Amino acid sequence: MKLSRLIMLPVLALAMMAGPAAAEKLKIGFIYPSPVGDVGWAAELDTGRKAIEAHFGDKVETVFVENVPEGPDAQRIMNQMAATGAKMIMLGSFGYMNDGLRLAQQRPDMTFIHASGYKLADNFGNFQSRNYESSYVVGMAAGYVTKSDTVGVVAAYAIPEVVGMINTFTLGLQRTNPDATVKVVWLNSWFNPSKAQESARSLMAQNADVIYSLYQDTPSVVTVAEEEGVYVINTSSDMKAYAPKMLLASQIADWRSYFIEQVQATIDGNFKGTAFWGGMADKTVDVRSFSSDLTSDQQAELNKVMDSIRSGSFHPLTGPVVDQDGTERLAAGVSIADNDMLGINWLVKGVETRIPQ
Amino acid sequence: MLEVFVFIISGTLAASTPLIYAAMGELVCEKSGMLNLGIEGMMATGAAAGFVLVATTGSHSVGFFGGMICAMGLSLIYAILTVLLNANQVASGLATGILGLGVSSAIGKKYEGTTVTPLADLPLGPLADIPVLGESIFQLDAMVYLSILLVVAVWYVINRTKLGLLIRAIGEAPEYAHSQGLPVRLVRMCCVAFGGAMAGIGGAYLSTAYTPLWAEGMIAGRGWIVVALTVFGTWVVPRVAFGAYLFGVISLLELSIQAFGVNLPSQILSALPYVITILMLAAISRNVTFIRMNSPASLGQSFSP
Repeated sequence: MKLSRLIMLPVLALAMMAGPAAAEKLKIGFIYPSPVGDVGWAAELDTGRKAIEAHFGDKVETVFVENVPEGPDAQRIMNQMAATGAKMIMLGSFGYMNDGLRLAQQRPDMTFIHASGYKLADNFGNFQSRNYESSYVVGMAAGYVTKSDTVGVVAAYAIPEVVGMINTFTLGLQRTNPDATVKVVWLNSWFNPSKAQESARSLMAQNADVIYSLYQDTPSVVTVAEEEGVYVINTSSDMKAYAPKMLLASQIADWRSYFIEQVQATIDGNFKGTAFWGGMADKTVDVRSFSSDLTSDQQAELNKVMDSIRSGSFHPLTGPVVDQDGTERLAAGVSIADNDMLGINWLVKGVETRIPQ
Repeated sequence: MLEVFVFIISGTLAASTPLIYAAMGELVCEKSGMLNLGIEGMMATGAAAGFVLVATTGSHSVGFFGGMICAMGLSLIYAILTVLLNANQVASGLATGILGLGVSSAIGKKYEGTTVTPLADLPLGPLADIPVLGESIFQLDAMVYLSILLVVAVWYVINRTKLGLLIRAIGEAPEYAHSQGLPVRLVRMCCVAFGGAMAGIGGAYLSTAYTPLWAEGMIAGRGWIVVALTVFGTWVVPRVAFGAYLFGVISLLELSIQAFGVNLPSQILSALPYVITILMLAAISRNVTFIRMNSPASLGQSFSP
């Protein structure tokens, strides 16, 4: 009896010490709209989650749920995360915004970061990337390699972000190859690998010798390009492994440092719901895996332009810029304002396809 | 211009192939009076199983066979529920379909977003060297040619053989067929299994030949198109096949029109394949008597001896 009590005491003491320590461990929930594969949007977000685990070690615990449809399912999962002790939630899709914001208002003790939305609260921030910056750079690369002067774009939806990226891509293309034009196929779908492949093939059949795979989560377009021997540029993930010969460059978005900052702020208790729009300057946006087919002079020029974007001395959407109808949208030397960029709904001259109205 | 033509013809044949397999299976299944609404899930299961097998063994034959078996297994669950236990066909079909989507995501989990080498093309000897035509028709993969043979075979069996007569009789009047001593439940189960197997091959074609990658949800509604094609094609083999090819050609035309820079709203273009296919099929099957003659009278009704 005495012996067991003697043993029990230190155990109890340990348990009591461990108690508050365990409670301090920050539990962070992640909700992704699509399955986490090797590549793609969810995979990039998950890289951020892993970076948090690596950086904070025992201080945090992360959980994630993938392939969550926007709507009631998402709401249920975030409520459940909140009920099971999560103090921070990363919402990985635009459509989680309203449910997330409602929960944020009910739970001021929690913090939220939301991908690509526009609503904010004290404990509800959002994040986006200035992918239009890297689009300009890969556009220049496309201009260097195209022989048919025709570049095809397989694009998801004509939302401002995508329209802006096609614009800077085209401006970059025309900088290195003034005669080149751009054809676009709008998929009107975030996810349809077969249709993406068919679109890529239809663009190739119309002479496109560089394909820009804009927001295709799967390597659908990239593998077709490799098969057909046509250069391809990819967005969101580096897909070099799927097209070792024909990948011209990959535009990537890297959320690691932003995620780590936000977790640190939550731990320190000074989280603020802000709109984060990361670009090349803070390394959120970058271009990787340039093809070795680019000459060293071309590569040097690309690096120079990237440096000027990073330093802020060059904005990719700077006038004179003329739209498809020939109207001047930006006068010489004028760069587009952030607010206009967020709502951009016109395409620059040189893009042959119209925006679906 | 010629390249666009080649792209559309060869692309149509390939794009329609998964639909052809699944639709021929569904047609036989419905002819026996069984309405299988789980095609989408069965195609997904076939696609996932086929993909994983090709990725691990490297053999496309193994992939197609495995995809076929898995989808057939799933269709047997549906058959047991409806044929043996007399459960409602619509509800059971939907439930098995949803189960199939879940099974496919479980099978393919580790392979999400990965790719395999596509099924190799099989140029048909000297035919493949004919300019334009050779490139558009005679340089496709073996499964495309087999799908055309399948259409002919299904048409022949349904319309010209005793087996076809048996299936049609059971679909038309199961009680009467039963009273004649015909094995109604056995035939219905076999037809459902055939439908499942074909859906599996269609799915596997999608994931290992047409779009050689696995991504959850990649069937993207094709299973539903198959169900619609069978109904709008009024259970007549050539019409259903025509519907499948029409759907394929319009989907590809849509993309080519967009790439040409024609100024039409792309949302409308995206809806075109569905609209035109349904309108065309509805237009060619206006004859009510003809529809009544071809539609299986007991479709969707359970039968207990």
